Amino acid sequence: MLGQLIWWSSIALEAVLLVRGLQTRLAFRYPFFFSYVAFVFFFQDLLSLLIRNSPIYAYAFWSTEFVGILLGCGVVFEIYRIGLGRFPGTATMARNALGLIFVLAATKGLVAAATNSGWWVQTNTLELARSIRTVQAFAIVGFALVLLMYSIPFGKNLRGILFGYGLYVGVIAVTLTFVPDVGHGFWFYALSASYLIALVIWLVHLWSYQENPVASPTSVSGGSGYALDAAATRSRLESARRELVRTVRP
Amino acid sequence: MIGFPIPALFTSALLIIFVLLIVKGLAAARDVSSTSNDLLDDAAEIPPCPPEFVFRVFSSGDARFVSGTQSHQLVKLFRSERKEVALLWVRQVSAGIQRTIRDHTRMARSSEGLDFITEVKLLFLYGELMLFCGALFVAIQSAGPAWLGRVAVYLDAQSQRLARTQQAVRAATTPREFPRVGAA
Repeated sequence: MLGQLIWWSSIALEAVLLVRGLQTRLAFRYPFFFSYVAFVFFFQDLLSLLIRNSPIYAYAFWSTEFVGILLGCGVVFEIYRIGLGRFPGTATMARNALGLIFVLAATKGLVAAATNSGWWVQTNTLELARSIRTVQAFAIVGFALVLLMYSIPFGKNLRGILFGYGLYVGVIAVTLTFVPDVGHGFWFYALSASYLIALVIWLVHLWSYQENPVASPTSVSGGSGYALDAAATRSRLESARRELVRTVRP
Repeated sequence: MIGFPIPALFTSALLIIFVLLIVKGLAAARDVSSTSNDLLDDAAEIPPCPPEFVFRVFSSGDARFVSGTQSHQLVKLFRSERKEVALLWVRQVSAGIQRTIRDHTRMARSSEGLDFITEVKLLFLYGELMLFCGALFVAIQSAGPAWLGRVAVYLDAQSQRLARTQQAVRAATTPREFPRVGAA
């Protein structure tokens, strides 16, 4: 009963979100995000309603799940592209941080493959989904930390997309990691409800278009300007460290 | 029940403590502006304490003098005042560090020539300083600045003793050089 309620509420909210996206033309400003929602609405929800009892349902479910994950990566790319368009320095940091996370994940995969030759055959779709979602969750957290660190001003629309999607992916990653056998207990409903909460967050934040706030122009275009400032910052931080150490040390 | 290896648990606990201390260090600077105390209201504007003054806050000389008066109330008042001054100093230092890094990130975010390694090094240095501030804050709050000074004196003496012992061991184990036969 509760599962059905969450299911139908999600479909209704997705429909409202898509209609509002077209009305406010936000769908053209954030094409990856609205493609993702449209894909979930048409292929994961409506299609599964039609073929739920068919033998091809399991294949269709996992295929659409992986396409959904890829489109989700597109959502993060969109936030990166629009949010950091005017901040090339932070964009460089985010690119490197995401690259580092993917290299670490690939290294872990390679080590697992090297130590267990039958790893690829033994791995099932659920484990693969868990690995991808975990990497995605780490990527979102890393990206959010870079944004916080550099105090990037985000508009209401982008903030909502990132927060809602981050919450949803985070709950999936935690659930698949710690409760692999979800069944139809608390975690099943928690997982479904997290998507519903994400939809509510998206609907509230994307109800109307809001311009991204303009940051104060403290730009330094040249590399030497940056190098000088970094050296000055380092020197100031090291002098603070000396002060702290000198004070407590006799 | 999920079984976790002991080293993993220990590392996780250590990591959580480090993160909590960093958060405390970050929060210390925020306390500067949020506290209701009149003196602390404008703490960000208060000029930095001279080093000799700060050093004295952490030394136990004055504490010994006040203890000599045998007045319980005076000792209590002295300790609480010293603690407040020491905490204010930590807050000031933490706020200064955060201002420095904020100014830098505001400049760096728009910079075309940003260097990833330099940024990561600065970030680690910043994290280390916030960890230091957080640890100092917790230590002062729980035991007072004079205790911290005594611990520092003790640790310094121990590290010097260790260095001397190491030097003695090295001297004893290094093979002596004998003059070569026929050397001038």
